[in-house]
Amino acid sequence: MDRRVFLQVAGASGVAISGLSCSWLFKKPEAKAIFPAGIPTTCELCPNKCSVVAMVEGGRIRKLNPNPENPKSRDMLCARGNAAIQQVYDPDRLKQPLIRAGARGEGKWRPVSWEEAWDYTAKKLNEVKEKHGPEGTLWASTEGFQEVFFKNLGSAFGSPNIIRHPSLCLASMNLAYSMTFGTVPSFDLLNADYVIMAGANRFESIITPDTMDLIGGLMERKAKLIYLDPRFTVTASKADEWYPIAPGTDLAFILAMIHVIIREERYDRAFVDGFTLGFEQLVEHVKPYTPEWAEQETGIRAVDIIRIARNFAAAAPRAVFYAGRRSSWYQNDFQMRRAQAILNAIVGNWDRQGGMVPNQKVPKGEFLFMPWDEPKAPRVDEIEKNFPLAAKGDGVYLPLRENVLSGKPYPVKAWMIYKQDPLHAVPDQGKTLKMIEQMDFVAVIDIAMSDTAWYADVVFPESHYLERTDPIEVMPGIWPAAVLRQQVVKPLHDTKPCLEIVQGLAKRLGLSDYFDYTIDQWVEAEAKELPVPNGLEHMKKHGVVAFSEPKYGATRKADHRFVTKSGKIEIFSERLQEAGQDPLPKYSPPAKVPSGKFRLVLGRKATITHAALTQLPWLHEHNPENSLWLHPESADRLGIQTGDLLEVASSVGRVNIKALVTQEIRPDCVFMLHGFGKKSPWLRAVHNVGAADAVLLETAWDKVSGNAAMHETFVKVAKV
Amino acid sequence: MAKKMKRYALVLDSKKCIDCKACVVACKAENEVPVGVYRNRINVEKSGEYPKLRTSFDPEQCHHCDNPSCVRVCPTGASWQREDGIVLVKYDDCVGCKYCIIACPYDARFHHPEKHTVDKCTFCVQRVDRGELPACVETCPSKVRVFGDLNDSKSPIHLLLATRRHRVLKPQTGNGPQLYYLL
Amino acid sequence: MHEPVWEFLIVNYLFLGGLSAGLYFVSGLAAWFQEDGQSAFPRLARWGALLAPWPVSLGSVLLIFDLGKPLRFWKLFFHFRWQSPMSIGSWLLVLFTLVSLVNLWAWLEQGERQGLLARIPEAIRSRIPARIRGYLDRDASAWRRTLAMAGFPLAVGVGIYTGVLLGAVQARPFWNTNLVAQMFLFSALSSGAATILLVRLLDKEAMDLKEVRFLYTLDIVLISLEFFIVLPYLIHGELSVLAVREALALILGGPYTLVFWGLFLGAGLLVPLAIEIYEFKPLLTGKGTFHLNPRLAMTAASLVILGGYTLRYVFVFAGQASGFR
Repeated sequence: MDRRVFLQVAGASGVAISGLSCSWLFKKPEAKAIFPAGIPTTCELCPNKCSVVAMVEGGRIRKLNPNPENPKSRDMLCARGNAAIQQVYDPDRLKQPLIRAGARGEGKWRPVSWEEAWDYTAKKLNEVKEKHGPEGTLWASTEGFQEVFFKNLGSAFGSPNIIRHPSLCLASMNLAYSMTFGTVPSFDLLNADYVIMAGANRFESIITPDTMDLIGGLMERKAKLIYLDPRFTVTASKADEWYPIAPGTDLAFILAMIHVIIREERYDRAFVDGFTLGFEQLVEHVKPYTPEWAEQETGIRAVDIIRIARNFAAAAPRAVFYAGRRSSWYQNDFQMRRAQAILNAIVGNWDRQGGMVPNQKVPKGEFLFMPWDEPKAPRVDEIEKNFPLAAKGDGVYLPLRENVLSGKPYPVKAWMIYKQDPLHAVPDQGKTLKMIEQMDFVAVIDIAMSDTAWYADVVFPESHYLERTDPIEVMPGIWPAAVLRQQVVKPLHDTKPCLEIVQGLAKRLGLSDYFDYTIDQWVEAEAKELPVPNGLEHMKKHGVVAFSEPKYGATRKADHRFVTKSGKIEIFSERLQEAGQDPLPKYSPPAKVPSGKFRLVLGRKATITHAALTQLPWLHEHNPENSLWLHPESADRLGIQTGDLLEVASSVGRVNIKALVTQEIRPDCVFMLHGFGKKSPWLRAVHNVGAADAVLLETAWDKVSGNAAMHETFVKVAKV
Repeated sequence: MAKKMKRYALVLDSKKCIDCKACVVACKAENEVPVGVYRNRINVEKSGEYPKLRTSFDPEQCHHCDNPSCVRVCPTGASWQREDGIVLVKYDDCVGCKYCIIACPYDARFHHPEKHTVDKCTFCVQRVDRGELPACVETCPSKVRVFGDLNDSKSPIHLLLATRRHRVLKPQTGNGPQLYYLL
Repeated sequence: MHEPVWEFLIVNYLFLGGLSAGLYFVSGLAAWFQEDGQSAFPRLARWGALLAPWPVSLGSVLLIFDLGKPLRFWKLFFHFRWQSPMSIGSWLLVLFTLVSLVNLWAWLEQGERQGLLARIPEAIRSRIPARIRGYLDRDASAWRRTLAMAGFPLAVGVGIYTGVLLGAVQARPFWNTNLVAQMFLFSALSSGAATILLVRLLDKEAMDLKEVRFLYTLDIVLISLEFFIVLPYLIHGELSVLAVREALALILGGPYTLVFWGLFLGAGLLVPLAIEIYEFKPLLTGKGTFHLNPRLAMTAASLVILGGYTLRYVFVFAGQASGFR
């Protein structure tokens, strides 16, 4: 019998009120079983993978409703989740395979049969393999339930060059926490009393359980939120304190906090002694990082830093410095996140309620398929040499692109892309265009004609998530879940799921044996080992298997061995030292903004978040265009008013964008949203509307993780 | 045994609202509202001087008033109110004179660009009658919204209003709005 | 507040409806005054009667076009909701238009009547029962005063209801005052008088001074009454609650200020008043002879009509921009 989730509501009405609110987080009291009237499945529009129930009427998807059975999606569905229907019925979406008929980017397309598209692609891939070896092909993809098939095809083909999105997003954060704790934990914001967030605009950029737990925590339990961001975001408006911190100085703030906590002996001595390594080195290391020094760097008063440090330590273990998600900010991001991890470690919030909790998983089966030989050639991004600590399987995107452009260590001449729009996802669009130019062959698998697809040679239309069944995925967390995606409607157009696209290619590449199964077989094998009887049946009916009881403290046993070199939580990291990196985070100030210029900072908005959704009408009407945010001081100086057309230029590109004069940003920064300025006319609503940040962003990365650093670009702004 | 009449209402904990627009999009999807017009909205109020800035978000839609002006001024009776308080529009009877749009103190109604009648939030009456929640309530990530029957002493809405201070918007009109904002 | 939903079609209709009411009213008043057993101002009365049905008919057509579902306009007459000024108004409009058409018929000369009847296609005319044709052909001039009496309440009703339509809306503080009904009524009557003056001036039969005095006097009285409404509206409004003050700000510094003070109060009320009082100078001072200055008269009349239109324009637009907080 699967366990459902209900929070314990104990006691009088006061608790009942907060219990009311908290229990709603997981399941509304009035929530009724809305299956079998609907088909449960899983959303694909962002990494959160919320459970939805699709209501179909007359063969048409009428509405997507939240599925109350998945605690990870907290019985809700965000704006994007609701708007997914419009992706299915988008008149401009990809309806059949296309082969380029004119020049790249010209937009002349020839609709072709699957056979022709597959034949042509296989031919080109084999040509590149002939000339440059299979490592001459690059396989780029973004996380998704069918991504595994695409990646496997690349590996089976013999290419080591699988590149994913983490080095454009959260690689530095993942690495920093892994190096410290041996794993990346989740943050128990449902129970935390004191939360410090730097930049992670949880109430605005994306809706995750952290969003929901934290808003409940702040408004119901009176938890405290300290928020640092150069912008006054929605999160800032909900925070107890907002500091417009000087961009790139978060590390100074954190080091000063550690300094105060150590100096005043407010750390969890027992925990530090029992579970960590390197505290003595830390004590020495933070001596110069005083709050007064940090005030100079960050612009935050020393008295505030001290007070926050004290309150943070006092609230521990129910106090966290939130790690964030997208950590593609500065070139020192890894070390900054390391400092976060260390700060969290010394107050002992590890594996405690209200602190950081290592993720649980839901067990599931694995489908066993025929394995192939490991690719022989080294990766083209030379990750082992230059980023030995970084996650090899994910790659390092920007260094990879540099190498591909230079042709060293070897040429890469074919680019296969799945569920990714590098022209918008990767900084410096100009370089990405050059990279496309250098390719003998580019193929894109997508559901809509992204800008990158517009420049490709072959476009494969994938079926929408509501049109297909995908592998079962486990979403780890404090309340982990295993979710199923199952087909809700038959594909509207001549599209195929990624697996079938891969199988068509595999056949022609002589790799059929490795993909010789159906999705149903795959799912069946996974469902067999789910911790519920009749796993597959259960998944088809409920869409999710979840655990209700969070586990706290499992790793806080004396004999627990953390997945680190020493087996302890590593404040001081020998591995970093051996790799020639700072074993303890050392501060260096960010580059100074040249006079007359501004630092371009980025961020997201929950109605669109990533670049792919800006053209959907229900989302577009809330974000018709992006604008450049400018503080009134800066605007006055340049004679700019809201609505004026501006020219914004960095060292790698220039764009035209309208101005938005607002007090909600530091005077030395400017900001723009992501996902506009599209070249593809099949993204009608945003074709030539607004501007693409990728055009302006310069190439920079964090030297330890290889994570892109996207807030290091300075721009000049002028009225057109 | 006489069953007490229902009276539906909506409680809003605006402090939790993060303007994520989930409710607006869910309503669009559920009720096939055309692009450009809205059955619900988030009112945004900004104030303060940098760096002491403040932003507040207040969701709003038809208040399904106790004493609705829109029903009173309708010349054909197309605008009417159910016994459980839900104010609706009989689309077949609406001539589109738009008097009710002007008479509403809350700007809750709009001219439907495809039907050419007036339209507005119906508390997702089709869902409520099936025992479900309105789409906006069901979808909200921050759990801002609580929907229920004021006359049901066991409902969460009843408990909330009994134990939390709250206010309504524009009480001076005397319309008796049934959207309660927790303080 | 959101974008206005009632725009120029409604402004036009309010003006035209009021104009018809005013034409009928002045015509009726002119018919009422007798001299030697006959109408004292027959030409004014006749013009008023001939013109009265048409502005409101045009206005009603515009009104129907403004509906979201114009072809459903008949539904307004399958329901009567006494709480809805619009429902009452629809019925009033129809009744008034019918009565004004009957009144028009009563003011036709026999030749005109027969001419019109002759225009009806033979196929239809032969179908009309002889009795009815007899009635149509009859001289109804004896009925004129009675018709005027019967029609007065309808005319006043139409004039007032256009104001009540707005005034009854609590949600719009700019409108929500009982003074709006009077304001619109006197403006309507005034426009009626001005229109009759204008057509009489353009008529080939020259005006006699009696007619001029009648219309001028009527106009001065109506404009003065209008002032007696507008000034309290402004003064009392400024001493009223915040919502009303904020609403009035739209015409006291806000976007409609210039139009309200310049076009409506200034050009629409003050200037015609000044002209008419100036024209009356000989009668007031006893010096010189009272005579008609056609140019001044036409100016005054035109300005009154412009003022009446402007009043509706300001009210419709500014009203929708006002609201509670």
